[in-house]
Amino acid sequence: MIQKFHQRLPVIKIILFLVGYLWMVAIPLPELGRTTYIDENALQPAQVSTYWNWGDVHTADKYLEDLEKLRDRNATSREYVQSTTVPHTLAYTFDRRADYIKNEFQRAGLSAATQKYSFSVGNTDLTGANAYAVSSSPRASGNEAMVIAASWIRRHDEGEEELNLRGISTVLALAKFLKGYSLWAKDIVFVVGDGYLDGMQAWLSAYHGATQSKELPHSSGVIWNALAIDYACHSFSHLGVFHEGVNGRLPNQDLINSFERISRYTGGVPVVLYDHVQDHVSLPWIPKFIRTNPTFQKYATNAKNVLRHVGYQAPGTPSGIHGLFHQYRIDAFTMYAVCAHGPHGFHALGKVIESTLRTMNNLLERLHASFFFYILTDAVHFNKIGSYLPSAILISIALMFHGLDTWVAAGWTVEEDESPSSDEKPDEKPSEAKTPKWTRRQRPVLPVLSIMAATHLLGTVLFLLLSSNYTLASYQTTSYILFTALAVIPLGAALLRTEQQPHNAPLSTVLKALNLCFASTIISILSVLNFSLALTLSITLGVPLVASSASPTTKWPIKGIQYSLYILLAAGWLLFLPEQTKSVLWNWEVLSVWFAPVVCVVYVPLVLQAAIVNLL
Amino acid sequence: MTSSLRAGVVIPTVAALKVAISLSGLPDLLRNDHQLSSPLTSFSQLQEGLYLFKHGIDPYSGGTFRHSPLLLALFSSVLPTSTLFAAVFWALSDAVAAWALVEIWRARQNVSSSTRDGLVALGYLANPYTILPSLALSTSTLENTLLLLAVMFAAQKKAAPSLLSLAFLSHLAPPAILIFPPLALLLLTDPHSHLASPQKLSLNKRRIFPLVLEFLIYAGALTFASTLVAGSWNWIPQTWGTWLTLPDLTPNPGLWWYFFTEMFDHFRPFFLMVFSMHLVIYVAPLCIKFQHDPLFALFILTGVLGIFKAYPTLSDPGLFLSMTAAFPEIFPYLRHPIVTSLLHLHAALLLPLFHHLWLTQGTGNANFFYASTLVFACANGAAVMDSLWAGMRIAIGKNTEDYGIVQE
Repeated sequence: MIQKFHQRLPVIKIILFLVGYLWMVAIPLPELGRTTYIDENALQPAQVSTYWNWGDVHTADKYLEDLEKLRDRNATSREYVQSTTVPHTLAYTFDRRADYIKNEFQRAGLSAATQKYSFSVGNTDLTGANAYAVSSSPRASGNEAMVIAASWIRRHDEGEEELNLRGISTVLALAKFLKGYSLWAKDIVFVVGDGYLDGMQAWLSAYHGATQSKELPHSSGVIWNALAIDYACHSFSHLGVFHEGVNGRLPNQDLINSFERISRYTGGVPVVLYDHVQDHVSLPWIPKFIRTNPTFQKYATNAKNVLRHVGYQAPGTPSGIHGLFHQYRIDAFTMYAVCAHGPHGFHALGKVIESTLRTMNNLLERLHASFFFYILTDAVHFNKIGSYLPSAILISIALMFHGLDTWVAAGWTVEEDESPSSDEKPDEKPSEAKTPKWTRRQRPVLPVLSIMAATHLLGTVLFLLLSSNYTLASYQTTSYILFTALAVIPLGAALLRTEQQPHNAPLSTVLKALNLCFASTIISILSVLNFSLALTLSITLGVPLVASSASPTTKWPIKGIQYSLYILLAAGWLLFLPEQTKSVLWNWEVLSVWFAPVVCVVYVPLVLQAAIVNLL
Repeated sequence: MTSSLRAGVVIPTVAALKVAISLSGLPDLLRNDHQLSSPLTSFSQLQEGLYLFKHGIDPYSGGTFRHSPLLLALFSSVLPTSTLFAAVFWALSDAVAAWALVEIWRARQNVSSSTRDGLVALGYLANPYTILPSLALSTSTLENTLLLLAVMFAAQKKAAPSLLSLAFLSHLAPPAILIFPPLALLLLTDPHSHLASPQKLSLNKRRIFPLVLEFLIYAGALTFASTLVAGSWNWIPQTWGTWLTLPDLTPNPGLWWYFFTEMFDHFRPFFLMVFSMHLVIYVAPLCIKFQHDPLFALFILTGVLGIFKAYPTLSDPGLFLSMTAAFPEIFPYLRHPIVTSLLHLHAALLLPLFHHLWLTQGTGNANFFYASTLVFACANGAAVMDSLWAGMRIAIGKNTEDYGIVQE
């Protein structure tokens, strides 16, 4: 049976690759998904009557007015950054905003404080001031807490920064409002973070006793859940969900599902995934009769959501400030008010948040029942792990089969010479007169492992250089130097080229085998941790690694072209994606997102090994 | 290239490197890792016990301290417990272990030095499964050293130090007593490789009794000393008893903890007995099958213990993998070395990953980590089975034209 399997291996490999890649394309298909549901019975979403009313909306409006005045006077703590020469005694004028928020929290009867922070990335210092308040639970000991957070700058990927003034007003008004009720079995912590991600990161790490220098004066219990409020325009039509956390962690799906139910039934606001309000995707290059087909439309909108999800999850970028909470095992998401001319405003948002908090308040243990591994295809549909994981795993299996096949091939050679050598082993079939004779040969494992270790070492050095302050300061020149170094250093492996010996397998074949096995392991293991990253790797590594040619007879010019292609695949991002590289490095420095080290220490070396396979 | 590495150069270099890494702050991250130190070997718990001991509180009256009283005595009187000293001491322990492994290899080859010495030493010192527990200051590193010392002295025919090392070892980790039979056989025969020519053991069986007696005297003396240190017999249920009754179900890379977490209480005593006895059944068959080569029997038994014992750390299977370096004659007969290596690669990546998913990130659960320990057990099982196969296969010799070997 094994022999039959081995004979059909080429076909099996191709089928595995095809099915794997097709499966990836099929992930957005509605047929693969199912509707969301609430798994944890304790949540009871949208089962309470809310008390948030127009008086509270008025309070929020008042706060908004104050905040707008502060904005117009430009009293952001950002000034603090630009004028570091200002005498320290004057510094207090610069965090007027944080002080204002702290004072308002205190006026609402909460214990509040500000927190100054600073990060240094490259040559630039990032400083600011957060304000936060703790409302202790009237019903319990305060061992657990929920967080409502807003950042000064609204969530954005690239592009323009808008101030999240309405979001902050909502937090302030909620602080005043929620304090008045005795329903809470958990502490409620209100946080207004400066900047976008930096402020919240500083507050969170200080809360959990790490990195930032000063301890926070007011503390509370273990944070279980957090809501991030993002509301910048005058009014909104939909509430969007952003849920991807740092390093691709997702919050428990029950949280998102409860919010979706509450928003729909209590607030009357439809929920969408991200800010994708339009359920019509315009793809002008597709023939009209396909484009207008409803099934295709459904697929296209789902695909748009999935692609956006992969775009956040694969590099481990948090899709909003909620993502930072995920580092500390806190389930959180961002409520994103999608700008529109009506109909909703503070009233609907307040109600939804109040009801969501009540739902979170019901929890007796951490959210655990529902899914942690899922892909949302829209706000109410999702794919379970079993319906998307196989795609990457199949590619990984195909790589493993190819690697093992190459390994076996490296161990045998056809012997034309009739004189029997000492370590000879016939094929399973009895040798007939004309059949070629298969003999075993030695596989040089140690040199190959040394080459692999060397490339990973090179990747580590690359990472250390990239993340050094000097590189971040002068990226333009350094990136060219690093790229050249990456292109030249592997050429040294060519020195290991020796004349082909009959009893030794060529280095390139063994290197290719081990390279494929290792890549397969990496993909299959990553797929549980961060599926999008595994997906991306199985696309960038899958076919290219299989295609590396281990034949030593190729002509040099062709080898040169192949080699340069692999080098481009390995390190082209240094030259062609400078902005993305810088933001990934920023993510590593400030948020400890491990995408940068993974690319440098795992991805680049794997492709370099394939480049060396071509070279040898 | 690598064959010219000398053990005398390799061991001090790696040991110095290890001290340097230890001082970089990495051990603080590793010290409480479940995979690197169990409740019975953790340095933090040892320090806690020392603190209680120095303040006149019986550390064994609580339920947390499970180290031997001898370690208490050692660290509270002779050895300081500063981090720097601990780093040096653990690196030294590794160096001694590597040296012992080299000596075992030399004794097996019957040479005074060889070109492969450096490689054999690296086999122990560069093995991630042994490096990491040592950086985490797990006392399982010290246990490995004692085991290798016991085997080394046995291979050199020095009965007294060998039995004393084993007595120390089985005092710290009672399951190690199971290697007494092959060790005694090794003392009575020779350490050279007889795998290719198996023969019946011709031995005066009465010569074993003095060894047993000597071992019992050493073990009794250590027990008595421990009782003097601890001031009562309370330490026995807290240390040795732990191995049999499994009161602490902290996760580890072994197979016991999850099983007994899930177990209904009324089945517990029965399965505790089954699991404990299960370890014993390997001893006699291995000693009989490899009576011509007790060192190999001991090697396989180490692998079996590494898989199945209670409270293992990564260093237990690591010791077995490192010891393969001393048995190069089995390499050509291994059936699936690539599969074993890949299984180990998967397990080595999955263990920390699933541990992280469960306990840090909170998106996984105990089943995840348990699944990865199963992969790890499969990897170790594959290594032991393949070594066992190769060890028996050598005797048949190389494949000839028309015959193949099939396992039925």
